[in-house]
Amino acid sequence: MEVTVNKVLDAKGLACPMPIVKTKKEMNTLEPGQVIEIQATDKGSTADMKAWAESTGHQYIGTVEEENVLKHYLRKARTEEEKTEAKHPDVVRLDDLLNKLDGNEKITVLDVREPAEYVFGHIPGSIHIPLGELEQRFEELNNTENLHIICRTGNRSDFAAQRLTEKGFKNVKNVVPGMKDWTGPMDKSQ
Amino acid sequence: MKVAIIAANGGMFDAYKVFNIATAAAATDAEVGIFFTFEGLNLIHKEAHKNLPMPAGTEHFQEGFKKANVPPIEELVSMARELGVKMIGCQMTMDVMSLEKEQFIEGIDVGGAVTFLTFAKDADVTLTF
Repeated sequence: MEVTVNKVLDAKGLACPMPIVKTKKEMNTLEPGQVIEIQATDKGSTADMKAWAESTGHQYIGTVEEENVLKHYLRKARTEEEKTEAKHPDVVRLDDLLNKLDGNEKITVLDVREPAEYVFGHIPGSIHIPLGELEQRFEELNNTENLHIICRTGNRSDFAAQRLTEKGFKNVKNVVPGMKDWTGPMDKSQ
Repeated sequence: MKVAIIAANGGMFDAYKVFNIATAAAATDAEVGIFFTFEGLNLIHKEAHKNLPMPAGTEHFQEGFKKANVPPIEELVSMARELGVKMIGCQMTMDVMSLEKEQFIEGIDVGGAVTFLTFAKDADVTLTF
């Protein structure tokens, strides 16, 4: 599985607690919102990464095992992420989105999370443009209608909804809270 | 999170228990303090910590340590220091053993029981090794 990340940390061959200690150091060099891939062979590292992310507030995205190497994906916390108030007025709850997807209404789901987050699970048929690329790629959305934007918690999608509305897109919806609470169908492109 | 550790034994296994927990906690943004007392002082003694004894009859684990690529104690000690782990040497034991602060690694504090207690009184995790 190839996933675009901001940084790759090679912690292969290292024993506990070094993968965590190295992750902590690398995390300090990342910008908030960026994604790191940690390659490790320590079998305890999967449980440790999850627990570490939970304690430090960073986001644990997932782990894949390839040829005896564990690849852990983490996203650096954005301090304002859980706090900022949504400003885009037009919001849709997750269950409404699920109903719309099941119904006949033609809608487009735009997922603005990082590639690693998208790979570990997204709504089938959704379009993927990470928030950081939206400014260059928004024209890809010109032929879509009824845009429903989603991220993990509703903040990046809020920002995207505002930007796209400014660019002249009509009827843009921000889906809240986001994929962290999504219970509908999921595609995992692994 | 705040973690207070007492290191009272001076073998290699003891050192791993102490420094693994300490560095893992510090890397998880915990405030960590270790109080080194009695044989525990070996773990921060300039020479002794580089060559700590394995418990009698466990010498065959030497290979296992290599195979698992476990970092040497020296590396864990410098990692702990880099991560801001507070290390306190017990003054009383140092007096009993005629040891001076200069014989220990850089960056340690020296204090008595109350120094540790004051640090540990609001700790979330307290451990003794």
